[in-house]
Order: sequence, then C-alpha cells, then structure tokens
Amino acid sequence: MSEAPSVVPPASVVLVSGGSRGLGLAIVTDLLAAGLKVGAFARTVTPELTALGEKYPDHLHYGSVDINDGAAGQAFVKAVESTLGPIDALVNNAAIGQDSLHVHTSADHVAEIIQTNLTSPLILTRFVLRRMLAKGLKGRIVNITSICAQRGYPGLVAYSATKGGMDAATRSLARELGGRILANAVAPGFFASEMSAVLGQTQLDQIVRRTPTGHLTEPEDVLPVVRMLLLENTNLNGQVLVVDGAASI
Amino acid sequence: MGEVMTAQGRALPAEDTADLREIGFRSLDFSELALRVEDELGDELNFDAPGLRRIATVGDVLDFIEQLQSA
Repeated sequence: MSEAPSVVPPASVVLVSGGSRGLGLAIVTDLLAAGLKVGAFARTVTPELTALGEKYPDHLHYGSVDINDGAAGQAFVKAVESTLGPIDALVNNAAIGQDSLHVHTSADHVAEIIQTNLTSPLILTRFVLRRMLAKGLKGRIVNITSICAQRGYPGLVAYSATKGGMDAATRSLARELGGRILANAVAPGFFASEMSAVLGQTQLDQIVRRTPTGHLTEPEDVLPVVRMLLLENTNLNGQVLVVDGAASI
Repeated sequence: MGEVMTAQGRALPAEDTADLREIGFRSLDFSELALRVEDELGDELNFDAPGLRRIATVGDVLDFIEQLQSA
C-alpha cells in the first residue's frame, strides 16, 4: 500500500534576505500584500522597508543584518520566530554584484563575492532548515539566482560562479529534503535598471529587439513566480525557472 | 601600449586622440597593458569595468593607467 502523496502547505512566515531594496523589497512588498508574514533583513534598512513596517506592524519584522554575520543572522531568525511564528519559507535574495574583469578583480573581492552570494546563503539555509525540521514543519526555499549561472557574460565571473553554485545547491537540496521542503530557484535575466547603468541606449535597444517578449526583465515579472513557488501546490521541486523573456534562448 | 600593439603586429598611433576602435585596441588589450604595468610595479592594479568602458582614445588609456598607478 503506497503512502498518500505529501503536500507542502503554502508558506505562512517567510524569511527574505536582502529585502530592503530592488527585487528583495519588491518580494517583501508582494508577500505582505498577499497576507503573508515576512521577516526581512538587509545590511541597511531603507526608508521603504521602514514604511512597510509601519504599514504592516503585525506582519513584518525587519532589521539591519549583514548576511555574512552568522551570529546576527541566527539571532534575527529567532527574533522573527518569536514575533511572527515559526518560519516555513526562505527566500535567499541577498547578493552583491560584480562589474569587473576577472583578471582585474582582487582576490579579496572574489572571496567577498563568494562569501556573500554563496557561502552565507548556504549557512543561513542550513540554520533555517534545521529549525524547520526540528519543529516538524514542511516548507519551501526559493533561491534568487541569475541567468548568469547559465550563460556567460564578461565582468561577472565570480558572481556567475556563485549563482551557478546556488542553482546546483537548489537541486541537491530538493533531493536531500525528500519533498518535505520544496527547493527551487528563480533566475531573472538582467533587469532594465541594471542594464541601463552599464549599456548605452543603442545597445539596450538592440537587446530589447532580440528579446522575443520585446522587453527587459522587471522585478514585477519575477514576483508572481516567487509567489507561486511559495504558495501554490505545483510539484515543482529542484528547478531553476528563468524569467528573461527568452532573451537567453 | 606600444609594446602590446607591436606584439600584435600593429603600430601605436602618435596622436592621443586616436580612436581605440579604429586602431583595434580592445578591452583585453587594455588588460594586457595593465598586467604588464603591474609586472613593472610589482603590485596589482585592480579596477572595475565602468572605468574601462569610458576609455575611447589612446590618451584615455594613458590617463587611466596613470590614475591607477597613483591611486
């Protein structure tokens, strides 16, 4: 006699790293609007995150935490749990970027990128998982990675390596966690704001023309995908979902 | 800069205003130049790409290398 299929319930308390600006802030805002409780941290708390805290005092716990400070991260997780309840989902979004050729990137900076984008998220994931499993919870992990993990781009060697590492970890986590905790990744293409910072209008227009959907990725394109992975019962597990309008295909 | 171009069978124009695209001096050529300067200095000259993107002429290359050395 086979066991009944295990269903992972929708997330109710979500921890979001790097939640003070950009995509992370958009994710926090979207989840709060959907009625979820959110713990959000970042190195610097922005006025936008503070405003969300005032708007959702019972649903948002936020603070200034450097993801590379393991002790502070663990204390924040415990504070979220005591304020909002047990964490049953994690969105690993915090990351630092890169815009330098590998040969001209200092060894210290390479190490910093790997620490921030790969080692620290894995350690945070380990800590959150241990607490989820110890409480007998099911849950969900969403890793925000990048199209850089799958396609080559100059100036992003270490960054791409970390994102590829997170994609690979996503697959292994899905296997390890046996369906009790769903682990997936979302890999956005380059955001219009990022591209416009480094490319001229002519180059931007060329990229847009070559993107089948006719526009560069915006944070708003990514939000429904993250929300789906946190809330819906889809049987998606161990996958990397690319959100780039087929620009990379 | 002349050594980098000579090694590739090309000549360095005399004018500082010479356009790098026109003389075929690419970003990797700039990297080679920076690494040669590093060898001379015995120290690393690390820098981000945005500064590199602003370089358009031979004069820009020389100015940028000078800035790196004095940083």
